[in-house]
Amino acid sequence: MRRPLEATNFVRTCPLTPRIDATSFPRMSKIEYLSEYDEIVKTIQIYIDGSKQGKSELMRPAFHPQASFFGYAEEQLAVGTQFLFDWIDRNGPAPKIEPRMVSVDILNSIAVVRLEVAGWSGKLAGSDVCMSDLFTLLKMPGGWKIIQKAFHWHG
Amino acid sequence: MAQQNTPQKTLESWKQIAAYLERSERTVRRWEASEGLPVHRREHEKQDTVFAYKHEIAAWSRLRTKCPGTIPDDEAESFSPGKTAANTYLTEHDAITRTMHCYIAGARAGDGNLMRPAFHPSATISGYCQGVEYTGSIQHVFEWITANGPAPNINPRFARIEIIESIAVVHLEVKGWSGKLAGANAWASDVFTLLKWNGEWKITHKLFHWHDR
Repeated sequence: MRRPLEATNFVRTCPLTPRIDATSFPRMSKIEYLSEYDEIVKTIQIYIDGSKQGKSELMRPAFHPQASFFGYAEEQLAVGTQFLFDWIDRNGPAPKIEPRMVSVDILNSIAVVRLEVAGWSGKLAGSDVCMSDLFTLLKMPGGWKIIQKAFHWHG
Repeated sequence: MAQQNTPQKTLESWKQIAAYLERSERTVRRWEASEGLPVHRREHEKQDTVFAYKHEIAAWSRLRTKCPGTIPDDEAESFSPGKTAANTYLTEHDAITRTMHCYIAGARAGDGNLMRPAFHPSATISGYCQGVEYTGSIQHVFEWITANGPAPNINPRFARIEIIESIAVVHLEVKGWSGKLAGANAWASDVFTLLKWNGEWKITHKLFHWHDR
């Protein structure tokens, strides 16, 4: 496969420069919908497992290399996935989290998942806190990847 | 074409444009800023003067009446920040809709700068067009929109607006895309993630799927 281009290599013509070559995505049949759904749930489960164990290296494979991260942590705006990964490592294990996928919407090559997580605990989280997450995902040749996590912390 | 530039085919001031549309000058100025009313400028040393072609104004007016995604003027007035909705949820919902209309207005006018206020400065874009992935800074969207030029026939629909306190997701279906880069009558599905930032809703991410035909 051709080496992926960096985002900085974008040119102004027609219309953005592709980052990678990818196969085209034909319209999904119902059977494909189910398998896409299962793949998306698997990706979110990787995030959940990493959160539960407090290990960012476990959740990293669920994220696109250029994923973004947005939300307020104690009134301060937190931006960038590095903030998330550092926070997960510093927070440590949160064995009692109870995640629920409230919605999974698939639009061909893109998807949105709303995740509600109750029972957050740990060194930074405190105890029994709820977090709402909006994940947007992109279908990549290697599977569904989280391209953004936006969160609201119900502190 | 020269015939279209004769005085009787043009409106030579805000006053004349307002009179032609039977609205106030304030309203037509706002329409130019937020809804892509086609107004042109002649550069002068001291101050630019505005003018508009009647046929362009008439075409804009026809499309606007036809497009259900456009807010009627009375409704638009009620969206002004001075007025408050019946409850907090509706206030947030209206504010999000306003942000999205700023994006739509920029897309329709083919002016990337017009839609810039709708976005957070660190916003990003990603998605697929003809099976190829595009990911990067939102700046590329502004450049694409400007290079694409006007897309007067876009027909946007809010398929979903979901608000979770400080974050929100908006699924917008846009049919009737046109322009130098979009081609004719194209269809895009967009998922925007928004953040309430300094009291205003800003788009932090635009995820798109450009439908192949």
